[in-house]
Amino acid sequence: MNTGPALVSILRQGSTLVASIHTALNDTEMVRFQQDLIRQIGEHRARGVIIDVAALDVLDSFASRTLRAVAEMARLRGASTVVVGIQPEVAYAMVELGTGGDALTTALDLEDGLALLADLGQSGPARG
Amino acid sequence: MTTARASDREGPTDAAEVEALIPVLRRVVRARVGSHPQAEDLVQETLARVLAARERIEPGMLEPYAIATARNVVASLWRQGDRAVRNAHRLFDPGRPDGADDVVIATEQTAAVGRALAQLSEDERRLLLAHEVTGQDTRSLAEAADSTAGAVAARLKRIRARLRVEYLLALDDVEPPSDRCRAVLVALSGADRRRQDELDTERHLLECPLCARLSEPLVERGPVRSDEAHVPIAEAADIVTARHRARELAARAGFDGVDLTLIATAVSEMARNIVRFADNGEVSVRLLDRPRRGIRVIVRDTGPGIPDVDRALQDGYSTDEGLGLGLPGARRLMDEFLVESSQGNGTTVKMTKWIKRG
Amino acid sequence: MAEDTQTGEDPSGVPATHLLPQLVAHLREHRARLSDEWASRIRDTHLLEAMTPQEMVAETTAVYDNYVEVLETGSVEALQHYARDLSERIIPRGVETHEVVGIVLLLRDVLARSLFEKYEGDFGLLNQVLDAYEPAANRIANTVAVSFVEERERVIRQQQDAIRELSTPVLPVRERLLILPIIGVLDSDRARQLTGQLLTGIRTHRAKVVVMDITGAPEVDETVANHLVRTVDASRLMGASVIITGLSPTIAQTLVTIGVDLSKMNTIGDLQGGLEEAERLLGYTVTRKEPSTSS
Repeated sequence: MNTGPALVSILRQGSTLVASIHTALNDTEMVRFQQDLIRQIGEHRARGVIIDVAALDVLDSFASRTLRAVAEMARLRGASTVVVGIQPEVAYAMVELGTGGDALTTALDLEDGLALLADLGQSGPARG
Repeated sequence: MTTARASDREGPTDAAEVEALIPVLRRVVRARVGSHPQAEDLVQETLARVLAARERIEPGMLEPYAIATARNVVASLWRQGDRAVRNAHRLFDPGRPDGADDVVIATEQTAAVGRALAQLSEDERRLLLAHEVTGQDTRSLAEAADSTAGAVAARLKRIRARLRVEYLLALDDVEPPSDRCRAVLVALSGADRRRQDELDTERHLLECPLCARLSEPLVERGPVRSDEAHVPIAEAADIVTARHRARELAARAGFDGVDLTLIATAVSEMARNIVRFADNGEVSVRLLDRPRRGIRVIVRDTGPGIPDVDRALQDGYSTDEGLGLGLPGARRLMDEFLVESSQGNGTTVKMTKWIKRG
Repeated sequence: MAEDTQTGEDPSGVPATHLLPQLVAHLREHRARLSDEWASRIRDTHLLEAMTPQEMVAETTAVYDNYVEVLETGSVEALQHYARDLSERIIPRGVETHEVVGIVLLLRDVLARSLFEKYEGDFGLLNQVLDAYEPAANRIANTVAVSFVEERERVIRQQQDAIRELSTPVLPVRERLLILPIIGVLDSDRARQLTGQLLTGIRTHRAKVVVMDITGAPEVDETVANHLVRTVDASRLMGASVIITGLSPTIAQTLVTIGVDLSKMNTIGDLQGGLEEAERLLGYTVTRKEPSTSS
């Protein structure tokens, strides 16, 4: 289920997939992660996806784009995506870079992310 | 058959007799230096010495004398080689030769030093030899030249830098492909940072494979610098390496957490452009002390160049679908941002960030 | 002629430094009287009034001893140390540079007078003693003044940093709610620092809502306005909503001019309204969470 030696992990928790990125990924690894995650969303018929990026010290335009693409593809398969764990410095760099627009749904951490997914499940696609 | 000769001491040894020694001498010399290009020279030198000394040679001792002489000639070549090696510590440092192969290499090096010296002007050669070989100090040289010791030392430094370059070219037996090559190599050889910046030596090394190869020993010679890093960029994995190195250096310069992330992100963006558009390039990072503490990142590639830099710097220039260059974004992350590009000649992005007061 | 002891300082060629030991002995002998006299001169000139008489005696005696020691050893190190220490103690009490320079010059004067008295019978010797004394005394005055000024600058820098911190406090009001009152002129440096503090604060306090009150910010230029917008976006990336309160019409105008879509920003008239909105947001979350998990 994992891509390579634990660069990322994707765990299932009920109808939610929790994907954690454990270390800086290069572009190839990022793309493989995207493919794996999308495949598993289909396999498990997941309704919610959490992507934990707390371990990342950089989210450049490619990484943000990939995350947005995952969210969009997940949405097409009926799943909501919440990105959690964006570090303060990273958040700052993202808005400076211009990739911090509101296209991503975010939460502080895994706990908040799960709560947000629960809200989204009950109140439709609007953000909480 | 020798009695007549014994009484005929005044008579010169027959030249033909000396010539007859040639096969023996070749064997002797070759046994010691192999098929070295200078082997024949050594044989000739031996013959010349034998001829010069023939009046003193006891009858019947011609052959032993010649063999002993050949040995001496070979040994003295080694000593010369040794001396060249000893003096070469300022020219180049190949280590001390041990086996026969090393001797060959050493002699090739000696020959290359010879050819390199020939490239210097008469004046330069005289000055260099007076200092390096004769051991004259810079002060007495300065007096002779009506100059100062410092100026002479600086001149010697420049001459050595040139000699190293000429030596490497001679050793490889190549003529550099462009006019810039020599200038670039000399700047690297002399560890002259200002000149290197003027010439943009790093870009040249990216474009000129010969100089890239030749410059390796020149750059290695220089002091290992802990305040700069060079990361070649060829594939996606190099992007991560580049931003890690930049982050490490920036952390050492004292940037705070936010700035470290901004710098690493900017490096990531620019390095990705190399992978996407150029295939081959380099990220070089250097810490700055003046006018205040900061970091300068220079990203060079040999790609097709950006047709319209001004437009590429505008926000919203095809940043969708990942087709953009990310220049405006990266520019916002840094304090200074300069793009030089011309079609067909690659792109150089220089970006600088300064440490905030306090 | 004691040529070998000559220091070259004296243009007349007469060696002067050998008189220093004699000078030092004199100052030691009359230590009590001279330092008293000095202290009373300080009082007369109304210097160091921030100090109590006891403190005055303690400090003047200490400075006196240090002073004599410099004359004796020629090394200002100990004095420098003491002067820094002293400065650290008296700067918070509002002692000014002119006071410190003043008291050192007074001591210089008191001691010079006592030398006049002692050597008034021998004008030549007096001149030599003064020649030895003056350069050393000037050096002492210089050392003390410089130490004081350096210390003062350090304190000022420290205070500036503290003020900077204070001017952008991130206040945790209740669980998961932060208030960020922005007071005073926002320049780009401060705006940047504010963002940094807010984002770190969001993580530390696990904030879900931030009320940014800019009632106290008189003006916001385009750069700072852009910065505020980015701060809102960055907070959102960390999962926190920002409510902006106290937006004056002028600042609102600036934001619109630079193309900020105010409808995407949660702006509320005043702080009170902002807090209510924040509670609504948080309450909404809490009631939602209660039935499912205890989290």
